[in-house]
Amino acid sequence: MVSAERLAIARLVHRVGFGPKPGQFAKMLKQGFKVSARQLLKSGLPDYGDVKTAIGITDLGAQPKPNSEALRPYNVAKDAQLRNMSLWWLDQMVGQEHPFVERMTWFWHGHWATSYSKVYEPLLMFDHIARLRKHAIGDFSQMCEEMILDGALIYWLDGQLNTASSPNENLSRELFELFTLGVNQYSETDVKEASKALSGMRVVKNSGLVTKEPRRSYSGTTTILGTTANFESATLARFLSMTPACQSFIPERLTYRFISPASSMMSIPMKPAAQKKSSAYIIKQAFETRQILPTMEALVFSESFKDPINSQVKSPVEWVVSVFRALQITPSTCSQPDVLLKLLDTLGQRPYFPPSVGGWPADEAWLSVASSQNLIRAAQVIVSEGDLSPLIKVPKQERVDALADWLGVVEWSDRTRAAFDGALRDPARLTALAICSPEYLVSA
Amino acid sequence: MKDITRRNFIKLSGASAVAVAHSLSTYEFAHAAGPRPLPAGTPILVIVTLNGGNDGLNTVVPYLDSNYKSLRPQLAYKEDQVLPIGDGLALNESMTGFKSLWDKNQLAIVRGVGYPNPDRSHFSSMAIWQSASRTPIKTGWIGRWIESQPENPFLAISLGSTLPALFQGEKRSGTVLPLSGLVTPTGMIAKDFAKTSKKTKLDGQLSASAARSVRDLFTVADVVSPILKNPAPPAADLPTVIGGNAGGESNLSAQFETVAKLIAAGVPTRVWSVSLGGFDTHANELSAQSLLLGTVSNSISKFMSQMRTIGRSRDVTIMVYSEFGRRVRANASNGTDHGTSGPVFIIGERVVGGFHGEQPPLNRLKDGDLAVTTDFRSVYGSVLEGVLYTPVDRVISGWNDRLALFTA
Repeated sequence: MVSAERLAIARLVHRVGFGPKPGQFAKMLKQGFKVSARQLLKSGLPDYGDVKTAIGITDLGAQPKPNSEALRPYNVAKDAQLRNMSLWWLDQMVGQEHPFVERMTWFWHGHWATSYSKVYEPLLMFDHIARLRKHAIGDFSQMCEEMILDGALIYWLDGQLNTASSPNENLSRELFELFTLGVNQYSETDVKEASKALSGMRVVKNSGLVTKEPRRSYSGTTTILGTTANFESATLARFLSMTPACQSFIPERLTYRFISPASSMMSIPMKPAAQKKSSAYIIKQAFETRQILPTMEALVFSESFKDPINSQVKSPVEWVVSVFRALQITPSTCSQPDVLLKLLDTLGQRPYFPPSVGGWPADEAWLSVASSQNLIRAAQVIVSEGDLSPLIKVPKQERVDALADWLGVVEWSDRTRAAFDGALRDPARLTALAICSPEYLVSA
Repeated sequence: MKDITRRNFIKLSGASAVAVAHSLSTYEFAHAAGPRPLPAGTPILVIVTLNGGNDGLNTVVPYLDSNYKSLRPQLAYKEDQVLPIGDGLALNESMTGFKSLWDKNQLAIVRGVGYPNPDRSHFSSMAIWQSASRTPIKTGWIGRWIESQPENPFLAISLGSTLPALFQGEKRSGTVLPLSGLVTPTGMIAKDFAKTSKKTKLDGQLSASAARSVRDLFTVADVVSPILKNPAPPAADLPTVIGGNAGGESNLSAQFETVAKLIAAGVPTRVWSVSLGGFDTHANELSAQSLLLGTVSNSISKFMSQMRTIGRSRDVTIMVYSEFGRRVRANASNGTDHGTSGPVFIIGERVVGGFHGEQPPLNRLKDGDLAVTTDFRSVYGSVLEGVLYTPVDRVISGWNDRLALFTA
């Protein structure tokens, strides 16, 4: 019988972090769930210093004219910057002892999902993620105020094309639907009014500088969700973040990603006595102040977080990062960093490239014949490069259990144990089988 | 059945008959105990999803309507820029392939398709189209059909890298096939994976899906890999344009090419899903949309020609849809914002060619948007019954309408 404690710790380390480093899971089991959870939640960020200088993220100037000589070096420089910042971020996810803030940044990347595929400026995308990181466990209202003025986000949703004389509603609609309130919490009139409030923004494409041009802006009051005011970008974003609908929506999104999609749809009971036991209610109450860290604390310590029913499929980034952590491979210095980025691309989840403003899918969407093929192919390369000592140093008959603790797996099924039996002498084969097993692909 | 498949192959492969026959026999050898080829005469559905919300008004253009010109002056096509098809309507000038299908009575255009109280969010609206449900549910309409059929990893195949919501079932979903094909390990570890992917009663739903995805990989790869090495069936009766077919090697044409190869080889697949993105034309719409529509039209007309070459053209039906149409008025960026209804295209030799459903009138807009004149579930109803031989209410509960889209 597996203890509830082991399940909770496996979820903690895989979902609120990015999977255990060697020895980390065993240590957490010893400390217990509560201590481990508190340690993870208060872990904070290391001092990154001046990352932009370190990895060469710069303003490359305006795009050279088509067919000009300057175009090629310009594009090469862009590709190099994108590569550097992609590997740098993966390095942080893989390298940190307790990558909680990076995990939250990753969550917000899927929430304010903005893609390099349209923005096409490394500097803007780097700054976009840096803003998310700055507020990742902080104040959601402040995050909204800053994100609505973020150059990459505005450009991604055509905000720079939205003028008083002829509004473009793209940014306005997504601000309501995906960023703050959720569907059916606003009217078409609200969308139209809000696009007036957001009008007249200009983005300097190469630097990310955002300015408001009075000539192209709507001036006057707008009425949004029944409130009439001189709304502008930041005041509107803060206003929306303080609505009751937002107090429900953000906890639902956190629950969706950190607990399960089904759990995020649980309704809150009406009776006060039943509310006290409702995880959805407790998480929502914690968000009353719009502080993200206490909300995550409430989520991690909720009953739903430990409920065996809430299993999840690991997304490709979660899978790759957790495997790299366990096998102690650093993305930027592994033998084929470009193959790694290509792999994430093929698997459908590469940082800076969400498929749409709705972010990435969940669960069964990641399980397909296509993804199995890619994971199995990747696994064979990864194990050839990884540090398998946690397995090698253990006698054969103890390897199956050691494998579970090393990787943070709750328990192996009899089916998977039977497959391991023939591979006990071969740590590389054993590891490849384990990281492609249903027990590892799914966070139980 | 195998003989029919072999004859087709040899017929289509011409000079390279020897090479093709060789890879075919590899396939047959590998699958002496594998899936039976799809019997000739079995209907096949190809679903084409246009992601982003295609502007229906500039696809099937009401070029003679004065309201059209006055409502979107920057974006209105002129009479000499479109391909007239009657009723005051014309196809976008890039859709020459569709025009010739129309002339052969093999193109049905269902007008004004949508659902009541249109949702303008890409995600919600695509979810509604793919689930065929106005309220959020997890399964797709094809996913539910898959679960009404015996388990078969070949039954429904989507080209791409992730599973579309369309193919999502409660317990069993469709198969995803990457364009680049499938490669599986060989030797000891392959045998091990056969073990780790075995069914076990103790699996939860997600673990069972994870195990199935690995199991199906080996089953599908064994069949598909040799076939994808074959040349595609030639589009024998398609006029060749100097410099190749316009539209060229787009991702959509590559998806269709793969589908054509697999159908030619007799893979027992009843539903295929392919897709093309980029239709979210909030800015500078005209050239971008025209290019995309040209790709759709060229890929499909080439594919239908390939199907004629291999004798499956009467079996195949293609359905093309998008999550919504766009606003009638242009925005300030020479683009259009999210709108409501749009046309759905049904292509095949068994379709009742011509217009179906009413064209949403431009002089009676609702809040500046096109009316919905046909519910998309009625289109699905006729496709389910006419192509998949499944009563509509088995897949879309409580729905009983259908259109007369197919000849008896």
